[in-house]
Amino acid sequence: MSRWRWLAAVEARRWVLWGVLLLLVAVLLTALAWLALRYEKAQMQDQLERDTVDAVGDVRAAMQRNVQTLQALQPDEQSPAAWVPPTEEVLRNHREWVRLEWRDPALLLRVGVDSVYRTPVFARLGRDNALADVEQACALARRTSAAAYAPSTFVSVQDGVGLEVMELCLPVYQGGRLSGFLVASYALVEMLEAMVRREHTRAQEVSFVELDGTRLALRGGIHRGQRIFSAQQMIDLPGYALVLRLDSWRALPNWLPNLLTVLVLGLSLALVTVLALLARDMRRRQRAERDLADALAFRKAMEDSLVTGLRARDLQGCITYVNPAFCEMVGFAADELLGQGIPAPYWPPEKVDEYGKRQAWRLAGNTPPREGTESDFQRKNGERFPVLIFEAPLINASGSQTGWMSAVLDISAQRASEELNRATLDRLQATARLATVGEMASLLSHELNQPLAAIASYASGSQNLLQADAAMPRAMGQQLSQALDHIADQARRAGLVIKSVHNFVRRRDQAREAVAAHTLIDSILPLVSLQARKTGVRLHLDCAPDLPAVWCDRTMVEQVLLNLARNGMQSMQDLPPGRARELRIVVRPCPDPGEGLVFSVADGGLGITSEVSAQLFTPFFTTKAEGMGLGLSLCRTVVEQHGARLQHRALTTGGTEFFFSLALAHKADALLAPALPQS
Amino acid sequence: MQPVQDALVYVVDDDESVRQALAWLLRSRGLQTQCFDSAEGLIAHLGLDHAPQVPCQACCLLLDVRMPGISGLALFDRLIDKGLLSALPVIFLTGHADVPTAVDAVKRGAFDFCEKPFSDNSLVDRVEQALQRSAQQLHAQQIQKSLTELIDGLTEREREVMHCVVEGLPNKLIADQLHISVRTVEVHRARVFEKMAVRSAVELSNRLRVPG
Repeated sequence: MSRWRWLAAVEARRWVLWGVLLLLVAVLLTALAWLALRYEKAQMQDQLERDTVDAVGDVRAAMQRNVQTLQALQPDEQSPAAWVPPTEEVLRNHREWVRLEWRDPALLLRVGVDSVYRTPVFARLGRDNALADVEQACALARRTSAAAYAPSTFVSVQDGVGLEVMELCLPVYQGGRLSGFLVASYALVEMLEAMVRREHTRAQEVSFVELDGTRLALRGGIHRGQRIFSAQQMIDLPGYALVLRLDSWRALPNWLPNLLTVLVLGLSLALVTVLALLARDMRRRQRAERDLADALAFRKAMEDSLVTGLRARDLQGCITYVNPAFCEMVGFAADELLGQGIPAPYWPPEKVDEYGKRQAWRLAGNTPPREGTESDFQRKNGERFPVLIFEAPLINASGSQTGWMSAVLDISAQRASEELNRATLDRLQATARLATVGEMASLLSHELNQPLAAIASYASGSQNLLQADAAMPRAMGQQLSQALDHIADQARRAGLVIKSVHNFVRRRDQAREAVAAHTLIDSILPLVSLQARKTGVRLHLDCAPDLPAVWCDRTMVEQVLLNLARNGMQSMQDLPPGRARELRIVVRPCPDPGEGLVFSVADGGLGITSEVSAQLFTPFFTTKAEGMGLGLSLCRTVVEQHGARLQHRALTTGGTEFFFSLALAHKADALLAPALPQS
Repeated sequence: MQPVQDALVYVVDDDESVRQALAWLLRSRGLQTQCFDSAEGLIAHLGLDHAPQVPCQACCLLLDVRMPGISGLALFDRLIDKGLLSALPVIFLTGHADVPTAVDAVKRGAFDFCEKPFSDNSLVDRVEQALQRSAQQLHAQQIQKSLTELIDGLTEREREVMHCVVEGLPNKLIADQLHISVRTVEVHRARVFEKMAVRSAVELSNRLRVPG
């Protein structure tokens, strides 16, 4: 739960970070665009300022030239009329002037010439209205002995339409004496027309304004766009200060360069995004690589921990991979094996042909058997060992087969134990057969001996009677006596034959030895547990390892225990399900100390009925369908041969216990000792 | 060897033909037999389950080792338990397989064993030897029994005098020891000799020594 919350928090934080990043980028882009625009505006303003300065320079220069032009018009006192033609000529060349006058030092008009380009400006209102301006300018001019200007005034021409006029007064000196004044009336509008270059007026509005901002004259350009840039520059004239102002009507700065910037920025952003994606991809890849490395380490650990040898071969039979278990198995280092082809170094030389054929068969596309193939391998030191090989095709990622993967099991230990078990089994079964035959012979000899004994007895008895009876004719008596002797002899002979057969079968009878009790139990254990597993019986062994050794014929006692155990397990086969099936094999010391050991086999079966009990040891009596009826009989014989009795009793739990005792080995030694020569 | 008079041979074997043949053989040598088909039969006959009767005649037992029910060995064990082995010698009849068992039984006091098919007259010889031993045992028992009866007939004083006589003391010393007169000793002595059916002191001591 908390982990989930933590993950959600991390996720949220990541989104916030991404949002902040995007916002920052947007702000940056906007700022860049804004800066670019501002830069462009500044550029425009600069341009305008430069234009204004240029224009002012032009105006100043032109006014200077005009003063000089005016000085060149020195009037002649004697012939004022002669002043008029050059003046008219000048006025034709200078449209900015609307009137030129020659006045005497008292400012009385001598000659006045109006511009030919317009109707005389002062005609309507009279020149006298403007005389105050002229006086002001000329007073200044007289004082400074240089050209001076008067502030401009509006002169109405007709119907409310008029123009701003500025008076220029130039004192005229003749012979160091003020002889008069030349007064020029500038029309400010015409000044703009004449003195400002056309390139400055084409795209912008040029105007003269007063210091307080009042517009005096205007020369308009075309209004394009809505944006106004303005720049102004003062023209300081003696007696008057004019301000030249340029207003530029411009469209908004062109977006195109900004768009390019934005495009570059966008591309950069895209690049950054791609980089981020790449980084994320890289991180994923790193994680995948780490996972892969983990998986590889896991696989390696798994392979190293396996006791099963793993071997991969390509389609040509070259070894491409072996795991440590395989190397250990065959005794070669991995370097010695990798890349080795046919024959492999661990193939026994004599089997190379066979294995080569098998390899070829497999390479031909046949599927190896699912249950594996048994082979013999050779270790580096030459030792052979059997292996079980399971093979599966190696399929690569694209689905085509690149070789074979084999799992190799070293089955030598398994083989050895199998062989040992088989040997034990064989031995026990052989002894069982022998014991059965022996018991059979024993029984036969017993059964045949009975009638033979009867025959011999009758013969001897008859002989006795014959000799005692004196009434019998002698010759006949002799013949009968001989016949009776023969009968007795033949019976004896038959008895000897039986005895010899019996001795032949029972020649092992003397093979007594000291055997530890647990050795007896251990040797029958494989067979007994095998059957116990088959019949679902739980085996309970109780044999203390420190019990003394007993003196017995090991093989035969094993047979007895085996038979009793088998009988016990078979007696529990018909138990109703749910009842515990337990076979207890117990070895304990005799109640009388030092007497020997009691071997007991107890089952949990249904017990032995009294009828069966009466015939229990009778040869050929059996309760089993396939039984011979010799087992218990044999057991009794063997136990009796060891000087003991095979006994049985019903257990309170319902089963039956068979038990017998065997003498201790050291006690048997003591018994035998007096028979040995005393040294 | 003189055949023992009034001897009785018990034959215990589960096989009837063997039983009959043995009985026939033994009768041909003038021996009386009594046959049982199982150990249980003999046990019932001798009353081994209760107080066993000591046989009053010489007898022996031919016993098959292997029988259904109580086996020959089990019967043998019970005879040992009851102390009847000396009065009733046992000869085991065995097959080949049972020889070790039989040898073991002989070690524990059986008279002999005989492997089937037996060489018959030698078996009968062994039977007669067994019967003889049984007879001797019986005889000894009878002597012991009669001696006991004679001694039981003596008075207390006569028994004391008899002990002294057997020890070889002269009458005078006996009289001193028993604090009686020599004359009285002589009377007791004569009475003892009479009751014990002896004529001299030597004969008396011989008589008493026989059974130990």
